[in-house]
Amino acid sequence: MVELKNVDVHYKEGSVDALNNVNLRINDGEFVFIVGSSGAGKSTLLKLLTREKIPTSGRVFVNGYNLSNLKGNKIPKFRRSIGMIFQDFRLIPNLTVYENVAFVLRVTDRSSRFIRQRVPYVLNLVRLSDKARAFPSQLSGGEQQRVAIARAFASDPGLIIADEPTGNIDPELSYEIVELLKDINKCGTTVIMVTHEHDLVKYFGGRIISLRKGNIDFDDYIGGNNERQ
Amino acid sequence: MKGSNFSYLLKQGLVSVWHNRLMSFAGFCILMVSLLLVGVSVLFALDIGIIIGNIEDTNEIVVFVYNETEESELSHISDVLNNYSYVDTVSYISPDQALEITRGSYGLDGIEELFDRMGESPLPHSYVVSLNDITKINEAAAAFARISGVEDVRAPYDFASFLISIRTTFTVIGSAVLLALIVVCLVIIYNTARTSVFARRMQISIMKHVGATNSFIKFPFFIEGMFIGIVAGVASWFLTKLAYESVVHLFMEDIQILEVLGLRNIIDFREITWYVLAANCLAGALIGAVGTVFSMGKHLKV
Repeated sequence: MVELKNVDVHYKEGSVDALNNVNLRINDGEFVFIVGSSGAGKSTLLKLLTREKIPTSGRVFVNGYNLSNLKGNKIPKFRRSIGMIFQDFRLIPNLTVYENVAFVLRVTDRSSRFIRQRVPYVLNLVRLSDKARAFPSQLSGGEQQRVAIARAFASDPGLIIADEPTGNIDPELSYEIVELLKDINKCGTTVIMVTHEHDLVKYFGGRIISLRKGNIDFDDYIGGNNERQ
Repeated sequence: MKGSNFSYLLKQGLVSVWHNRLMSFAGFCILMVSLLLVGVSVLFALDIGIIIGNIEDTNEIVVFVYNETEESELSHISDVLNNYSYVDTVSYISPDQALEITRGSYGLDGIEELFDRMGESPLPHSYVVSLNDITKINEAAAAFARISGVEDVRAPYDFASFLISIRTTFTVIGSAVLLALIVVCLVIIYNTARTSVFARRMQISIMKHVGATNSFIKFPFFIEGMFIGIVAGVASWFLTKLAYESVVHLFMEDIQILEVLGLRNIIDFREITWYVLAANCLAGALIGAVGTVFSMGKHLKV
C-alpha cells in the first residue's frame, strides 16, 4: 500500500511548492496512471516513493515503511520491496540480459539455485529467453525496456514504479509494454506508472491521478476505449 | 553476504578491470609512476643518509692524558669514557704507538734518523674516541676535558658542524620533497579513481535503486582498485630495481667516488628486493582500493 498524508515538498526556502499538501492512497493490487505536465510534481512524487527524497512535511508510507523517518541503513531493504522501471532503461551495460536480471536477486542475497530458476522464468514472461546472453547494446529500445520490466519483477516485489517506461520506445511498442505491466498487475503486484502519453491512458483506462502545480487535480477511474491512436 | 555472492562480487571486480580497461590502464600507469617516484626517492634518501653517516663515522675525538698518569688511572679514564651513552668506541694509544703513527705520517727520507734518536717516546697517552651521534661532539669534548687526568681534547668541531648542517638540511628538504611527492601522487591517483567512478555513476545509481547496500556496491570497486594497485606495485618494483641499479652501477664504475663517499655501504637492492616488492604491492593495493572506494562517496547518496 502507498499512502501520502499532508505531504509538502519545497526545494528552497520560499520557493514554489513541488508538492502542496498532497493526500493520496493507493491500495495493494491497483494499477494507477499518474499524469501531468512538466513541473507538475510527478518526479518529486516518484522520488518520495523511492526514498530518494523525504518530504518537507507530512508522511509517506510505502509497503509498510514510513519513509519520512526511514534510517539510511534501512533504505536498501525497503528498495528491495519495490521494482523500478525507468524511461532510459538503466540496464548495466557490461552485464548480459541474464546477468542484469540476476543482479537484483544477488543484491537480495538469493541462492544461486533460486536465481537459476527465477531468471529464465521472468525472461520467458517478457518473451526474451532467446536474448539471455545478449548485452543491452545489442537490443532494441523495446527489448531493453522488457529486460528492465523483467528485472523489476524478478524479486516479486509488492509494488512496481514505472517512470515513463514508454518514453524512449516506438509508440506501437508502448502498448505492448503497458500490457506487460498489466499482466504483472494481474499477479497481484501494485503498479504505478507515470506517463505523458494521454493516448495510452485513454486506451487502457483505470485509475488516473493527474498532478498540476504540485496538487492532485484529478483522481478517479475512467473506462478505457481500447482504440489505438 | 553469502559465499556465492562473495565469489560473484570478487569475479565482478576482476572482470570490470577488463570492461573498464582504458580507465584501468590510466589508473595503473598513474599508480605505477607514483610508486616508482616515491620508491626511488626513498631509496636514494636512505643512501644519502648512509653516506653522511659514513663520513660522520670517520670523525674522532682525541683525548690526551698527562704523561705521568699511572696505569690504574689510565684504566679509570678508559672506563669513564666508555660509560658515556654517545660514545661508540674507545681506542687507547700508548706513547710508543703514537710515535709510530707520527713517524708513519711523515714518511720523509732522512727524518727517520731523528725519530730513532728520540729513544723513549715523548708523546702522551691518548684515547681515540668515536661517537655514535656527531651532534653530541661539543657536549662530549667538554665532558672529556673535565675527566681527572685529561690534559687536552682535540675534536673536529668545524667539520662536525658542517656535517650536522648538511644532515639537517638534507632531512628537512628531503622530507618536504618526499611529502610533496606523496601528496601530489595521492591527489592524482584520487582524481583518476574519481574519473573512473564517475564514468560508472549510472551503474552505481542502478545498484542503489534495486536495493544494493553500500558495501555490496563498493566491494567490486574495492577488488578492482586493489588488483590494479597490486599489478602497479609489481611493475613499479621492477622499474625501481632497474632505475636504482642503473644509477648505482654508474657510480660504482668510479672507484674514487666509491671511496670518498663510502658507497660500499649503500643499500644493495638484492638484499631488500622482497621488502620493496611487498611494500610496493601493499601500498598499491591500499591506495588503489581505498582511493577508489573513497571516490564513490557522492555517488552512493541516491
